[in-house]
Amino acid sequence: MPILGSTELFDDVHKKDLCVDCGACVGLCPYFVSHNGKIARLFPCTLPQGRCFAHCPKTEVDLNRLSTWMFGSEYDLSALGAVTDIRKAKAGPAMTDRGMFQNGGTVSALLTLGFRSGRITAAALTSRKGLTPEPVLAESEEAVLACSGSKYMASPTLSTVMKESASGSTRRMAVVGTACQMTALAQMRMNPLEREDFRDPVALSIGLFCTWALDTRKLKHLLKDHMDLDSIVSMDVPPPPAQVMTFNTSSGTVDIPLSDIRPLIPKGCGICPDMTAEFADVSVGALEGEPGWNTLIVRTARGAEWVEDAAAQGFLILEAMPEASLANLKTGALGKKKKALLRAKEDNCLNVAPEAGRSALVIDPERVESLLT
Amino acid sequence: MTHLGHYPEGSRHLLMGNEAIVRGALEAGVRMAAGYPGTPSSEIIENLAAISKDPSLHLYVEWSVNEKVALEVASSASFAGLKTMAVMKQPGLNVAADYLLHLSGSGVRGAMVLVSADDPGALSSVNEGETRHYAKLMEIPLLEPGDFQEAKDMTRWAFELSDAIRNVVLVRTVTRLSHASGTVIMGRVPENDKQAFFKHDGFIIDPNEGVVMSPPVEYKHGEQHRKLKQAESLFENSPFNTYTGPDTPELLIITSSICSLYSREAVHMLGLESRVGILKIGTTYPLPRQLMKKHMAACDRIFFVEEVLPFLEEEVKIIAAECAADIGVKTFFGKKNGSLPMVGEMNPDKVIAALSKIMDTAMPQRDAAYAARAGAVAFGGSPHREATFCPGCPHRASFFTLNTALSMDNRNGFVCGDIGCYSMGVLPAGFSTLKTLHAMGSGTGVASGFGKLSKFGMDQPVLSVCGDSTFFHSAMPPLVNAIHNSSDMTLVVLDNSGTAMTGFQPHPGIERDAMGDTAATIDIPAVCRAMGAEVRVCDPFDLHHSRETLLELIGRKGVSVLVLKQGCALSPEKKSSRRYDMRVDETICAGESCGCNRMCTRVFACPGLVWDKEKTKARIDDVTCAGCGFCADICPRGAIVKKEVA
Ligand SMILES: Cc1cc2nc3c(=O)[nH]c(=O)nc-3n(C[C@H](O)[C@H](O)[C@H](O)COP(=O)(O)OP(=O)(O)OC[C@H]3O[C@@H](n4cnc5c(N)ncnc54)[C@H](O)[C@@H]3O)c2cc1C
Ligand code: SF4
Ligand code: SF4
Ligand code: SF4
Ligand code: SF4
Repeated sequence: MPILGSTELFDDVHKKDLCVDCGACVGLCPYFVSHNGKIARLFPCTLPQGRCFAHCPKTEVDLNRLSTWMFGSEYDLSALGAVTDIRKAKAGPAMTDRGMFQNGGTVSALLTLGFRSGRITAAALTSRKGLTPEPVLAESEEAVLACSGSKYMASPTLSTVMKESASGSTRRMAVVGTACQMTALAQMRMNPLEREDFRDPVALSIGLFCTWALDTRKLKHLLKDHMDLDSIVSMDVPPPPAQVMTFNTSSGTVDIPLSDIRPLIPKGCGICPDMTAEFADVSVGALEGEPGWNTLIVRTARGAEWVEDAAAQGFLILEAMPEASLANLKTGALGKKKKALLRAKEDNCLNVAPEAGRSALVIDPERVESLLT
Repeated sequence: MTHLGHYPEGSRHLLMGNEAIVRGALEAGVRMAAGYPGTPSSEIIENLAAISKDPSLHLYVEWSVNEKVALEVASSASFAGLKTMAVMKQPGLNVAADYLLHLSGSGVRGAMVLVSADDPGALSSVNEGETRHYAKLMEIPLLEPGDFQEAKDMTRWAFELSDAIRNVVLVRTVTRLSHASGTVIMGRVPENDKQAFFKHDGFIIDPNEGVVMSPPVEYKHGEQHRKLKQAESLFENSPFNTYTGPDTPELLIITSSICSLYSREAVHMLGLESRVGILKIGTTYPLPRQLMKKHMAACDRIFFVEEVLPFLEEEVKIIAAECAADIGVKTFFGKKNGSLPMVGEMNPDKVIAALSKIMDTAMPQRDAAYAARAGAVAFGGSPHREATFCPGCPHRASFFTLNTALSMDNRNGFVCGDIGCYSMGVLPAGFSTLKTLHAMGSGTGVASGFGKLSKFGMDQPVLSVCGDSTFFHSAMPPLVNAIHNSSDMTLVVLDNSGTAMTGFQPHPGIERDAMGDTAATIDIPAVCRAMGAEVRVCDPFDLHHSRETLLELIGRKGVSVLVLKQGCALSPEKKSSRRYDMRVDETICAGESCGCNRMCTRVFACPGLVWDKEKTKARIDDVTCAGCGFCADICPRGAIVKKEVA
């Protein structure tokens, strides 16, 4: 697929409002920056090809190429992508210090092992100031725990990775991010511009299951009349039938109806076919009906090695994935795929013929058709 | 220039038009002069200020806060019986106009001259406003010097005229007269040391001892007209109106000011001396009717050469219509019939082209070989350069901060601007950050209004900029307005510690006045705070602090003020000093590659940064770089290294 420059990125993503604030174009150069939950282009850049375009998960993303590069297998539009193992997981006894885990603390446990074992010296994580998500380059186990808990807002988390990579740093890091961020990260790791100075800093990519990540500015606008934004301790989206999003504040819990929340979903999330963060070494989500547990999908050999070691050293407790939950997960994941591909077709950004324009997504058209029919 | 007061009578000196005006005022015995800087008028007050300490000259000179105040200040001396002068550029006359209407109605006591300088072609302005119509509007006499000697002589005579008619006399100069130089023969500078005293106890409408005011209007207005008639009759025999040419020319050129020189040149170049006459008018308003009638009677074809608007043309046409029975019907050429363009500066070439057409003579051809050579040299010899800020200019840094902050804020915010060096914020030099550009202080007034449009769904951040001098000149009232009317806007004061654009004239924020004496200073942040604005002060060379602060301010409701304080790079205090030694570390510079693409030389474009095409790396031009250090902050790689100068 063609790799173009920032002008095309600006036209195809920013102007069409498809940006999901992943941060993959930020920190590489002086032109793209993130401020208050939104990505800005400061000045036009004249280069015909650039990493900004190459990394972006909304510009000419060839999922088959990505899958082949990462897993050695074709992108087949299966519900969960490349999977070597699926388990029910949670933080184990070795996790003596506990953070405000979102679910089972699997993510924090994997990261803690990473630091403890010297596999990594840094991790690209996401913290929060009020309701503004803040990319953090964690350099200690304490910093990992400080970042625990989900911020259901789109966050430019990848900017720290891009900055590290662009600066030529040689340290090894883990990266935690949502599905689009994992797609962007994988594209970055492919060294799409074949730069000689490229070095992949990623030792482990941990994907988070994701249905959507809200527009930060709009969420702030909605919530400021309901609560003091600085008093928010944590947030959650309880599974159906609860039709609310829950905010725990220092002065109590506030439920906001999902019907008020849905309009805050960025347009770019609507064409995202990926619920389980398929382009990561491991992916972690909630486990239906079991709040203290996670669903853990292992996708790569190094992911498997990491998870096994975590279990062996007591950082993780692993159990078999309940069949019913797995079936529901697949249904949900396929549902997201169908909806996204329909929307992408409608918006004319799926498999666009080169002479007719540019695509956001490129997926084997036959497979698309068979999924949709 | 400091000798201007002491050149002996009869001596010849090369004087700039503005210096000639100063000398004329000195020969008239001027005691007070007040003005506000503005190209091309500034050297008049500057020169007077420079010699103001000379005890033999008895002068008080000031830079006033704005032109209206300058006119008010200058008039006080007149009310106290002294000779006085106010000086401004034409847009400033608009500012002073309100007072001028009252003043011309009240009349003056000591002789008072108002010098207004026009900038046809807007060489250093954002408009080409005309002074001359004000004479008509305000019903006061207008003189227009046509050369350097006249600049002196007419200024001097303007005081005499004012003395005779007891009203303000307007003298209009233009850039090409004010800023060019020519030989001037000196007259005598009188020695006198008159005392100031304001008489106010007489009969209320007594012009010498009563109340100085324009009422009772009908009476005073009538007096004003009588004075104007008196001026007209003096003009009939004025030596400043001259005629050269045959007794019965085929074409009569009527012209004034510097256009009289263009007319002479055109007639000469076309060899039309025996066929075309030139009536050069120095006393443009009110026109001496008998003189005009006499010359028009001798010729049926009349060509007006003037700039910018057809003022003479219209005034003469009225007289021609009224006298048609005596002098016959005339054919007119000028701006109205398209012989000359309605806009822009006049020059000999335009006059030659029009005249050759009217007279049906061939234009003098330039030698073809010479024209080709000149063209080649002109084309290849001078590289194209955009107008830009100086190296080390705090405005470039400020606009970089403003522009990037607004992009980051990402709500389509914009900046309203006004007049100063920082007007270049509309150009790429200022990253095209200014989106409206009007009169002094207007950015803030316009912003005050924009800041109320949220009522109609406008949610764009509204900013304005003004300089420190402009802040005092005319940004304070709109700021008060914005605060009182609960507008949402941010004023950014680009405080470079002086009236930089016109040559560092002091203003109320500076601890020195026009005459060089220590002066009380007015603190801009304190004033804004006292008004009720949320105020921050930053150094524009600190990109991150300034930008964070600005982002915070434009996120708030209400009126906020950010003062970006840093001296102009050319200010006398800074000019030859450098804060940092700068260099580019070539081993880190990312140059044109993805990751930078020449941020420093392509986007920021300080002239101190150059692109080394061979090495494909950026480089500091040591001669040009002013060592401000700002560019170190914009380089994404940290390749621009600054080292504090020991
Ligand atoms: C925007 C968003 C939407 C999600 N949607 C779903 C969903 O629909 N279904 C589902 O099963 N799970 C979803 N998750 C995942 C779920 O909320 C938990 O993050 C996951 O189960 C891991 O739990 P844990 O206890 O192991 O996490 P913890 O150990 O608490 O660690 C959480 C990690 O998430 C990272 N993080 C937090 N916010 C963000 C963010 N905005 N962007 C990137 N990284 C972030 C932090 O850096 C931290 O390392 C979502 C997560 C996010 C951030
Ligand atoms: S990432 Fe590269 S191509 Fe894109 S804007 Fe930056 S320098 Fe230009
Ligand atoms: S989706 Fe990510 S990479 Fe694409 S423009 Fe937005 S922040 Fe940049
Ligand atoms: S901004 Fe820095 S990296 Fe980019 S060209 Fe200039 S010196 Fe080199
Ligand atoms: S330090 Fe940089 S910005 Fe300042 S004058 Fe020198 S080159 Fe220009």
